[in-house]
Amino acid sequence: MIAEAPSSKKILTKGNYAIAQAAINAGCECYFGYPITPQSEIGEFMSGKMQELGRAYVSAESELAAMNMVIGACSTGAKAMTSSSSCAVSLMQEALSYATSDELPVVLISVMRGGPGLGNIYPSQGDYFQATKGGGNGDYRLIVLAPSTVQECVDLTYKAFYLAHKYKNPTVLLADGLLGQMMEPVEFKEYPYPEIDNSSWALTGAKGRDGRVIRSYAPLAENQCVFLEKLFAKYKAIEENETEWEEIGTEDADVILVSFGSTSRNVKTAMKLCREKGIKAGFFRPITLFPFPSKRLSELASKTKKMISVEVNMGQMINDVRLAVNGKIPVELINKPVGAPPAPEEIVTRIEELI
Amino acid sequence: MEKNFIIAGFGGQGVLLAGEVLATAFMLAGKKVTWYPSYGAEMRGGTVNCEVVASDEEVSAVNKLNTDFIVALNQASFDRFLKKIKKGGVMIANSSLVKELKSRADIDYLFSPITKLAEELGNIKMANILALGVLAKASKMVSLDNLIEALDRVLPPHRKNLLPLNIKALKIGYEYDLLPAGA
Repeated sequence: MIAEAPSSKKILTKGNYAIAQAAINAGCECYFGYPITPQSEIGEFMSGKMQELGRAYVSAESELAAMNMVIGACSTGAKAMTSSSSCAVSLMQEALSYATSDELPVVLISVMRGGPGLGNIYPSQGDYFQATKGGGNGDYRLIVLAPSTVQECVDLTYKAFYLAHKYKNPTVLLADGLLGQMMEPVEFKEYPYPEIDNSSWALTGAKGRDGRVIRSYAPLAENQCVFLEKLFAKYKAIEENETEWEEIGTEDADVILVSFGSTSRNVKTAMKLCREKGIKAGFFRPITLFPFPSKRLSELASKTKKMISVEVNMGQMINDVRLAVNGKIPVELINKPVGAPPAPEEIVTRIEELI
Repeated sequence: MEKNFIIAGFGGQGVLLAGEVLATAFMLAGKKVTWYPSYGAEMRGGTVNCEVVASDEEVSAVNKLNTDFIVALNQASFDRFLKKIKKGGVMIANSSLVKELKSRADIDYLFSPITKLAEELGNIKMANILALGVLAKASKMVSLDNLIEALDRVLPPHRKNLLPLNIKALKIGYEYDLLPAGA
């Protein structure tokens, strides 16, 4: 790890541009994508910068093609990514399942909009299930990181590249239309992670060594059992090493508000407003959605009386909160189906109704 | 302290750019700041707006129920956002395009002929930046120096030739004395 980044001036930029610049700083060599609101600025930015830097940019014929191009590039050990949104990320699910079984370091930037179907272009958290449970076949997990500010869009894009390559596992940065479109001051520090040696597996031409095959096909049942055990040992290691969250005021809380992504900003303020009113509220924000901070939530369930999951969807993360709490205390939902997050005052009013 | 601002008008009046300049000025002043646009089916001639929240602490919310300052560059924006102003907040309206009606008694109004002043300057497109000058004076939240540096940062290279005119617009807005008696 680089201990100190060089001082650099803050700039005001959109979440989408911040993600794109961070990917470039992280060493992304190939971008493949197809435009869709609210993340089209990522491809727009890449279309200029990648060519300037002599790196690969392909405007793919479809999202399905884009994700398969990422698989191809990643199989050579390259740092490669795509970005998309909701209904178009749906088209990538088959390829994501393959990429997990091929153990490839795919990076996907998923900027959520309203769904299901074509939905609309406004912010949403309706793809929590899509990202954490997936729509591809078989037993697999994607590493999922959820930024809540434009600065975190930068920091977690760096981390997405690192974790994808460290664990050879597809990694999703799960942002939303709000984060993609908003501007905030950010600082682009240098990519803080070590480069991962991929010389033992990357397809680089078989000069001086035996050829290699990357595939997800195991014709014998026992081979697939061995593979899945190995894959899930990896997921266990990811859970043990990489689970990340933020918590405030949880130690003495009667009620803990759980929220991720852009919505969590308003929830954090709602928590502070509750405290001003004498309601002992705490705030808990999963930063990694997989691995989900279940262990910590389970511990907190023994200390607090209630948890409330606050989401801009019809209630998705609440399922993981309930699994973590395992019936110890009630878990309620405050939600808005789609759009900008509920205002802090609105959240407080609904908390008062629930406690 | 935290204050929020909505700048609204026709698509093409430059409200998103004005918001970006304002947000950049706050950043340069060391504030925490968030800029968020209305996005969607907006287009030239339609309505568009952006919200800027500036704070000494972490920005508290991105979808605030009410607003300290509104800059309404057209009638539709005035009508739409009037009810969103906090008690004691300020409506800055472009009286070239907005009727001078004061239907709320609990807020301050600053009617300023922003479009006309920009036309007199020689470029109607300067209305957005001229409005920022008015806002800077009225809000006492942001300095002209920070706004000028922000303009320099935000204007793209191929528009840099317009920087002097933009600075002039900013100053005309700032110096246009509209503050109601006693304010």
